[in-house]
Amino acid sequence: MSARPHLVKCILPPFILDHIASNGSDLQRARASQTQQQSAQFRAQRAAAATMQASKAPAAGAGKSRNVYTANSGTSLPGQLVRQEGGPPTGDPAADEAYDGAGLTYDLYWDVYQRNSVDNQGLRLDSTVHYDRGYDNAFWNGAQMVYGDGDEDLPPDQRLFNRFTISLDVIGHELTHGVTQYTANLAYQNQPGALNESMSDVFGSLVKQRSRGQDAASADWIIGEGLFTANVHGVGIRSMKAPGTAYDDPVLGKDPQPAHMSQYVNTTQDNGGVHINSGIPNHAFYQVATAIGGNAWEKAGQIWYVTLRDKLNPTSNFQAAADQTFAVAGSLFGQNSLEQQAVKDGWAAVGITVGGGGTPESPGCFAGLLKALGFRSVLL
Amino acid sequence: MKISLERSGGFTGISSKVTLDTQELDPAERAELETLVNKSGFFQMPEKIDSPGLGADRFAYRLTVEDAGRSHTVEAVEGSIPEALQPLIVRLNQLGRRSRG
Repeated sequence: MSARPHLVKCILPPFILDHIASNGSDLQRARASQTQQQSAQFRAQRAAAATMQASKAPAAGAGKSRNVYTANSGTSLPGQLVRQEGGPPTGDPAADEAYDGAGLTYDLYWDVYQRNSVDNQGLRLDSTVHYDRGYDNAFWNGAQMVYGDGDEDLPPDQRLFNRFTISLDVIGHELTHGVTQYTANLAYQNQPGALNESMSDVFGSLVKQRSRGQDAASADWIIGEGLFTANVHGVGIRSMKAPGTAYDDPVLGKDPQPAHMSQYVNTTQDNGGVHINSGIPNHAFYQVATAIGGNAWEKAGQIWYVTLRDKLNPTSNFQAAADQTFAVAGSLFGQNSLEQQAVKDGWAAVGITVGGGGTPESPGCFAGLLKALGFRSVLL
Repeated sequence: MKISLERSGGFTGISSKVTLDTQELDPAERAELETLVNKSGFFQMPEKIDSPGLGADRFAYRLTVEDAGRSHTVEAVEGSIPEALQPLIVRLNQLGRRSRG
């Protein structure tokens, strides 16, 4: 049965929908497998914790353990194991990129922040590549990373996306969703969700910068460089340096990210625009890191990491992130230190005043309504 | 019958939408899609399907069907889409994807 293109009217960017889990039994298998895997991981986690307690002083990187699977273009997870920790390269670029990228991400968290994997107890890092067909996405499912191959099923001149492991910061981004889940556990909705997304972009970018030896001034601050094929007008998916400028394409449309609270996007799509409004805290981090100077993963990254680990909670909004990063910078580098002033200035550059008391310039609809009714903004 | 499928979210956050009117399809396609809708019990589904614990960067879908004077919308995140609805969404994705380029 043939589809006739003129009958399918694409109203937003005429970019095309992708596949989801292809049928019920697949989904059931995926869910069952996820549950089994989570149980196995929790057992492994307890075992790892017991081992660490026994040895007391684990060697550097002692917790680094990676498994890479292939879904073979299906949707069952985790799929077929193709590489384990210490195993030789497979020769499959997606599998080897997933392995190497998970390793570089582990190394950032361990070497710089002394965090032993996503749970700080050496949880094994599981990645599945070749998920589904024509799957333009990567995600964290609560227990593992999953990567699609982009538009591998289309003729080359119609492809918009390459495989999602091609960009190291995508891998750092997905793994950081795991770190967030085990720490602040920011709700995946509205401002807490946009903060969750921003944390993933921040540490994803830091993995890339550290692997390239780039300081804050020389980094490109692009998220998802290399994901687009040459058919797309764009340098990547997001820009932390200049949100809203990463792509402008006749088919995909224009990068919708704001860089300032005055352009905050109120929407019900995308869990309240979590991939859109993340541009605001992303740009605040960029401002802080470049003002402090040097390697962004050192001072600015440390401030953000400690805030994520110790200071934020599921309902934290941008104001809370600003206030808490300011407080953490004071604790780590001294009250009125240059670092603390950089944090204050960085948030001011995106329209958020440290200590501003939960009154962002552009509150969400619900928060605005509450304010109008005389309530203090609580959540949104 | 008018069918609209919007997708948002995912790592890229790039949203998209596919709409069609089954009256403009050939009889076989029209029958196929209308059967997929009718068999799914779509009009009896809740407007929003809760999806806790699905992780991050999943696609979010919003499916709207207008038929015989009634209209209904269901929102669900990839990973929590009711089994009965999956064949329809897969089919709509195929139709939309082939129109690219």
